[in-house]
Amino acid sequence: MIDAHVALMMLGIFIILVFLGFPVAFTLMALGIGFGYYAYFDDGRMWRAFNRLAEDSDTLTSAITWFEGAFNNRIFDLFINQTYTVMSNEVLTAVPLFLFMGYIVERSNIVNRLFSTLNVAARNIPGSLGVAALVTCALFATATGIVGAVVTLMGMLALPAMLKARYDKSFAAGIICAGGTLGILIPPSIMLIVYAAASGVSIVRLYAGALLPGLTLVGLYLLYIVCRSMLQPKAAPRPTKEEVPEVPLPKVLWMLATSFFPLAFLILSVLGSILFGLATPTEAASIGALGGIILAASYRALTFDRLRESVYLTVRTSAMVCWLFVGSYTFSSVFSYLGGEHVISEFVSGLDLTPLQFLLLAQLIIFLLGWPLEWSEIIIIFVPIFLPLLPLFDIDPLFFGILVALNLQTSFLTPPMAMSAYYLKGVAPPGILLTDIFKGIMPFLFMVIVSMVLMYTFPQIVFHLPDLFYGAR
Amino acid sequence: APAVHAQPAPMVLKMQTSWPSSDIWMTFAQQYVDRVEAMSGGRLKIDLLPAGAVVAAFQVLDGVNDGVIDIAHSVPVYWYGKNKAASLFGTGPVFGGSATTMLSWYYAGGGQEFYRELTQDVMGLDIVGRLGFPMPAQPFGWFKKQVNAVSDIEGLKYRTVGLAADLLQSMGMSVAQLPGGEIVPAMERGVIDAFEFNNPSSDMRFGAQDVAKNYYLSSYHQASESFEFLFNKGLLEDMDPDLQAILLHSVEAASTSNTALAMDNYSADLQKLQDEGVEVHRTSKDILAAQLEAWDKLIPTLEEDSFMKRVLDSQRAWVERVTYYELMNSPDYQLAYEHYFPGKLKL
Amino acid sequence: MIRFIEFADKLSAWFGKAFGWLIILMTLGMSYEVASRYLFNAPTTWSLDVSFIMYGTMFMMGGAYTLSRGGHVRGDFLYRLWKPRTQGMVDLVLYLFFFFPGVIALIFSGWKYAARSWGYGEVSVNSPAGVPIFQFKAVIVAAGILLFIQGIAQVMRCIMCIREGYWRNAEDDVQETEELLMKQGVAKSDGS
Ligand code: NA
Ligand code: NA
Repeated sequence: MIDAHVALMMLGIFIILVFLGFPVAFTLMALGIGFGYYAYFDDGRMWRAFNRLAEDSDTLTSAITWFEGAFNNRIFDLFINQTYTVMSNEVLTAVPLFLFMGYIVERSNIVNRLFSTLNVAARNIPGSLGVAALVTCALFATATGIVGAVVTLMGMLALPAMLKARYDKSFAAGIICAGGTLGILIPPSIMLIVYAAASGVSIVRLYAGALLPGLTLVGLYLLYIVCRSMLQPKAAPRPTKEEVPEVPLPKVLWMLATSFFPLAFLILSVLGSILFGLATPTEAASIGALGGIILAASYRALTFDRLRESVYLTVRTSAMVCWLFVGSYTFSSVFSYLGGEHVISEFVSGLDLTPLQFLLLAQLIIFLLGWPLEWSEIIIIFVPIFLPLLPLFDIDPLFFGILVALNLQTSFLTPPMAMSAYYLKGVAPPGILLTDIFKGIMPFLFMVIVSMVLMYTFPQIVFHLPDLFYGAR
Repeated sequence: APAVHAQPAPMVLKMQTSWPSSDIWMTFAQQYVDRVEAMSGGRLKIDLLPAGAVVAAFQVLDGVNDGVIDIAHSVPVYWYGKNKAASLFGTGPVFGGSATTMLSWYYAGGGQEFYRELTQDVMGLDIVGRLGFPMPAQPFGWFKKQVNAVSDIEGLKYRTVGLAADLLQSMGMSVAQLPGGEIVPAMERGVIDAFEFNNPSSDMRFGAQDVAKNYYLSSYHQASESFEFLFNKGLLEDMDPDLQAILLHSVEAASTSNTALAMDNYSADLQKLQDEGVEVHRTSKDILAAQLEAWDKLIPTLEEDSFMKRVLDSQRAWVERVTYYELMNSPDYQLAYEHYFPGKLKL
Repeated sequence: MIRFIEFADKLSAWFGKAFGWLIILMTLGMSYEVASRYLFNAPTTWSLDVSFIMYGTMFMMGGAYTLSRGGHVRGDFLYRLWKPRTQGMVDLVLYLFFFFPGVIALIFSGWKYAARSWGYGEVSVNSPAGVPIFQFKAVIVAAGILLFIQGIAQVMRCIMCIREGYWRNAEDDVQETEELLMKQGVAKSDGS
């Protein structure tokens, strides 16, 4: 068996183990070390001290020296080295800070204010409740950077409101699921930081690149909501005065100034200081977290308990993401040392694909991986397998990253593991079935695909801002 | 039947650099690899890897010591966090000697024994090191705006390495030390707002001109650096003596070919940068004088350490004698250049 | 066994939570750097080093805590369909073969790595401030020890689960908003 086959075996065993449900970070570590022990096995080096031992040394000394030799495999040093590389990774330092900011904002009672304000402000637009729900989701998802909280909070708040206003239940559910997933695409997204750390693409270029696609997608969603509300008024009836009271303009402005603008300002200042190079993403994230604390305090929502919860959740989620890196750095360096990367790229170049075919295939695989796996596993473990193939097809890793972020939107929305739908189902009134939710999601999925096609046809949607801010590459 | 000489399989060594794969220094390292492979008649093969392939740029010393990589191509200043004396081997105070003067000190003035003492006796490392390729003095670097007086650089977040970091810190800059491959992303992220790396070719290849337009040549912050080759000691000692000699002496051989490659590329790329609209300046006398004053203040603090004191005494004595000869002997090259290419120099 | 599991859960949680508070220091420290830079034109020399030391320490020391609460990501789409007893048997085998080797390597190889750094009194090369990092490298060993203890507790959990047919989870702790709300949602619909 040649080493490249060993590498493929390593990948195969890994996939089986993932299916068995063992924590992936440790599976990666163990396989990296196990196969690394084979890859770096070098008896000359490992038992050098033993071989130099004088003939007449006693049995115990030689046994100990031999035993030490068995552990003198360089994989152990490589593993520690890679661990330290993750520990000192400057890009990833932003992860806990953005998570912390998200947890604080989640607990600051801002969703209620935001949604009721936007409701009032949007009341004259067709599908006003839906529009307000989507904008709230988008803004909130952007600030918190992950899915989950947004969908459930909005599911408890906006879904009953829409149902009460006689909205079509699928339509209402679709809006919340799709809106709540936007946080992984629109910067400052944590997923993009993780992609940057996994791919080496500059995080600021990624943020700049994701901005227009994110806005495009939000725009398409809004367009769909408004058009459907106009064409099919029964699906989104105008709210009555009791449901959404008519409020005089100055009061509306005041409500906006106290709920919408502070959060929008926080997000814009975090994002702006990153894009204009005024602060590193890590620094901007810390400002965002501090701003979140101040915001929560000003809403009188900051209690010590909530702060503590946010701290504990931050440490758990950071550990979850970063330990995956510890495992995958070691795993992938052994995998490529054994020639695994090479054999995959040989195989793919042998397929004679056009760049478009390759892109479609890659995105299809990532879409399918999104069924059983979470985004963190996909980005940290599987996307790096595609990255070395990109130069073969002349595809920019920045472009690829944004496509993946769009693609992963779908994996939160499609069965069998549609987390957004499950979260919503978990908090929705009993009358809402999963099938209702999926039916409502379909049109939004279509919009995601439309935006991917748009991006492929007009790559400038991705490249315009990075080129403008940081010069063309 | 004619005897078929079975060629024994070559011994394959892994050599990792501290440079990104796009850096011209990968070609410099390749010249070393080519010489080793040619001289060993195929008994040695070297896998040349860029920074990060096995370990990060700043971790090559740990990597070689542990045997994770066999050879590293780097500079001593990258590990001065483990022992500050490391930076005396290439980025120490400038007493007036050039990189050639200081590389001569390493090979003929006792430097190599000091280096061995530091790495093997003081730090207990399992490595053998050699220096090669006397680098041209390093430019003060890249700035977004013009900097003429010392006050212009105060408060700037600047990338450099080693003692140069201490030096410029004391001149009011805020200094970050980063590997070459991380400089431009750091500029984009706002981690730094000015930097030096090393030379026009390397600087151009990682895109310095995309993030800053003013390039300042001539500086005392790193005027005498060389490459460092690190070998795993146990591995080296287990090899046949002729192969050991090939690995070590190829450092000297590559030094000459590296110099030629540098002269050719660095000069051509400086012109290219100018053609692309980079403004090339010489660092002002004001800043250069302030650099020497800053060295004056830094040297006594270094000399508090007895090992560093011994090294610095040795370097000072070497420069005092050797550079006296060099400068007294050196004809006025500038005069000749002006004679044949009048009006070109803007010093 | 139960006593040991409880002990390990508490130990891991204590360390994870204690080091979690570094996030507050990190927030304040980085914010101070930005303020100092723009308000006083005096960037700090230490912020870069301090940021990654805090980040690295926090996530490494949080590893065991996360493990005790089942927070490490797993591809569980088949796993969660199984009976607890099956889960316990599979987990038991996988813990023995795929958990301890890496964690033991963290402890022993990490020790070699950290001890060497400790010997030089290594400081960061990122800035001339000379921020010490030898203690940071020792975090690898500390994290390994915590994971090792928690790993033994997890093995005991598996054994108890195989015996009893249900999982003994760590006591209630902070939960993600979505988990909390979904639980409340289920409770509500059960009640109605
Ligand atoms: Na899914
Ligand atoms: Na330099």
